[in-house]
Amino acid sequence: MDLRLAEEFMRRLIDKSPEYGFEEAEASFSSGISMSINVLNKEIQSYERSAEQGISFKGKKNGQMAAASTTEFTDEALEFLLSNASDDCDVKDDEDEDFIYCDPEHKELKLSQITDAFDKNTYARFAEIGLKLEKDIFALSDTIKGVDYLSISCDRSYNLKINSKGLYAYKDSDFVSLFAEGRAEKDGVVKTGGHYWYGNDIDKFDEDKFLEVFSKKLLSKFGATSVPSGKYDIILGNEAVISFISTFMSNFSSYAMQKGISLLAGKEGEKIASDIFTLREDPMYEKALIKVPFDSEGVLTYPKSLIENGIFKTALYNLKTANKAGIKSTGNGFKGIGYANLIVEPGDTSFDGLCEKVGNGLFITDLSGLHAGVNAISGDFSLLCEGYLIKDGKVDRPVEQITVSDNFYEVLKKIDCIGNDVIAEPDGAGELFAPSLMIKNISIAGEK
Amino acid sequence: MLSDSNIMRIIDAAMSKNADFADVFIEERKASNVGMLNGKVIKAGSSFDLGVGIRLMAGTNVVYVYSNDMDPDGLIKMALDAADALKGNSLCSVKELESMCHSSATDIKIDPMSVKKTDNVEFLRKASEYALNYDPRITQAVASYVTGKRTVRIVNSDGLNKEETAQRIRISIEAVATKCNEKQTGRVAPGTMRGYEFINEYPVIDKTRECCETALRMIDAGYAPSGKMPVVLGNGFGGVIFHEACGHALESSSVGIGSSCFTGMLGKQIASPVVSARDDARIIGEWGSYLTDDEGHESSDLLLIENGILKNYLIDKLGSRRMNMPSTGCGRKQDYSYAPVSRMSNTYIDAGKDAPKDIIADTEYGLYCSQMGGGSVDTATGEFNFAANEAYMIRNGKLAEPVRGATLIGKGAEVLMNIDRVGNDLELSAGMCGASSGNVPVTVGQPTIRVSSILVGGREDGEE
Repeated sequence: MDLRLAEEFMRRLIDKSPEYGFEEAEASFSSGISMSINVLNKEIQSYERSAEQGISFKGKKNGQMAAASTTEFTDEALEFLLSNASDDCDVKDDEDEDFIYCDPEHKELKLSQITDAFDKNTYARFAEIGLKLEKDIFALSDTIKGVDYLSISCDRSYNLKINSKGLYAYKDSDFVSLFAEGRAEKDGVVKTGGHYWYGNDIDKFDEDKFLEVFSKKLLSKFGATSVPSGKYDIILGNEAVISFISTFMSNFSSYAMQKGISLLAGKEGEKIASDIFTLREDPMYEKALIKVPFDSEGVLTYPKSLIENGIFKTALYNLKTANKAGIKSTGNGFKGIGYANLIVEPGDTSFDGLCEKVGNGLFITDLSGLHAGVNAISGDFSLLCEGYLIKDGKVDRPVEQITVSDNFYEVLKKIDCIGNDVIAEPDGAGELFAPSLMIKNISIAGEK
Repeated sequence: MLSDSNIMRIIDAAMSKNADFADVFIEERKASNVGMLNGKVIKAGSSFDLGVGIRLMAGTNVVYVYSNDMDPDGLIKMALDAADALKGNSLCSVKELESMCHSSATDIKIDPMSVKKTDNVEFLRKASEYALNYDPRITQAVASYVTGKRTVRIVNSDGLNKEETAQRIRISIEAVATKCNEKQTGRVAPGTMRGYEFINEYPVIDKTRECCETALRMIDAGYAPSGKMPVVLGNGFGGVIFHEACGHALESSSVGIGSSCFTGMLGKQIASPVVSARDDARIIGEWGSYLTDDEGHESSDLLLIENGILKNYLIDKLGSRRMNMPSTGCGRKQDYSYAPVSRMSNTYIDAGKDAPKDIIADTEYGLYCSQMGGGSVDTATGEFNFAANEAYMIRNGKLAEPVRGATLIGKGAEVLMNIDRVGNDLELSAGMCGASSGNVPVTVGQPTIRVSSILVGGREDGEE
């Protein structure tokens, strides 16, 4: 469905909403196309294409707000959205007010990030890149027995939101990504390793650079053993830092604080981390692939520090939680509360410099089970991890079958040195940028 | 919905070039939810979705296209584009459509869709109010109710014409206890394919009390020790370890390409002789059940392991072509936007002979995990990790102090061989399983079992 027809349907929805008792209403349309290929055993083993669209409605009735969604654009769908949302408003008794919003000075919000580079994403192009990559992965080593997963995919999405307050917010974006996972075997020991690339232009995929990291991740794990349980100084590698920070970000949500499920509640202005640690959000960050000038509620975003030199500066607010706190939204209304483009401020120590500083300890490259082995509220975690021993200031043999256990809030205080080896991964409504961190005195469980 | 003639036009288009097989998957979903926090309804929503997936196969090559725009001409064009993209050289004919056969693993007396949301709210309020009044240290009660109805129709170029309906309810009750900076949660989250009578019969007060008691016990708990030790896993959701550490590695998606640690192990001893395990998709009314899979194949009650010997793999259509073995009817997917792959349904370790209390009494020192959380596994190496949500030390054959923050890690193949006791208290427990075809409802299950040695990752040094 084209945007004009969608907008017509949305206007009808909003115009009809007062008949169902709504005082205010908002409609959101999203549509997208995608394509992906999977390579296996020198063939394009699968190929997928899609075209999808959907519409959601939210309305405010007697001070309560409810939402409904559908993939249909018929009269029956219109009736479904309005009557279900209306019934749902009737059962709600939320004491905190929800808002449908339009900044009078920014009624029309537009951000188009789609580019002609998307046209390069053809089956033939993906097949060529995928088949070559598979061949070149096998050529890395005789120990590689399988490239069990190799996928290249792209998608383009369009979003439009309009509401009864006069908001017209439009955005579109492109995304292309590649993931490969290999399996290597040596003396009966099997190891797996994978690497991920993403961007908005397939021409920017650099196979040599990709293979360099991929090879390290897959082939350097042989000979891994455990280490004795005990306390270690560690380097948390940049990839692990990203997944670690992302897991505990829910504690920065003002909603969690207001509901008593974040220990950061009421701690604005207090020292919660090491002096050298700064965490900020910059939705329009110049290095970010996806720039985010406004949130899902139509509020303009702006750069801010969450933690600055160890001091907790601000929580993340949407319209609802800001109203409750008597302040303005911080532009973090992304599906409840979220964030766009988080940055762990890098230091000036190289990775080798971090190793020298640790002297004898561990370099943790991967954390597993982050969805299960953490208590996001208390900050306690106990996670399977792997990495390398650091011996006399240098990366030594690989390490496996150990767990790292500590507490998020304690870890923030134990950050002793920050690397300059920043990488980024998609996270929240944008990306998360982080370097490796040196952390002192962490509990490791391994062999006795 | 699409007419039979339009579905056949799509299949004809899909089969017009190189495909030797094509199927059309049409899905309709309705869902509704209510969420309560501390006695107030803060969330209520509804959705209605339609979508179509078209799959083409030539040998083991697959093209999958999907859309939720139900315009037949658009879908036919998609099928033609898909046909162009598929390599192969087969020109197979399309067989005549069989008459439609409908199936469902639901067991419904009261249709959940006919129940008013205000009744759902009253149910949640009972749990919420009980929890908040149970103890001043219980500071938060979260409760939710979700119901959904999914009807799928699968038509393929062999003439197959099937329809399956699933209707599910899942509730969640969570009590949060607070002490200084510490917060701990007790949670139950049952799911069913029975009707609303499940809710009417549910012992909501008893279950809420259990949540409160777990949260209060865990908030006073010290950290779990670290090191290798015997671990007794409680019945029910403890089966998640078998699901992750063994079940996933038996799926044809990994066995069929040779990446699973259990490839080529059929008929061989992969577990201790006290272990037998099944994947039974045909238990009527059970959360993870279905009678017809998302490829239109009849599901099965599959014996996976018998007295430690590997008996069967979980095989879908693509897996059956790769492995040259018949499908076991386990091709599943979250919705039309995924191509189906081999998945589990209700997967459990069968009951043994031991009384659970004897298993603990015979354990000198170790860890008892009464409630497991989630975890993950690498099916190639078998390495897994799991969190214990509620755990106790075992000392001198008796349950001792509660401990928190315990994560169990190990390799699936080793753990299976190290199971030395199996209880007689089999119980199933609902969960959601995520994999390459999305999230599907599954149950995991087991009786109380003991593993002679697992590495426990805690924060304190162990005693042995």
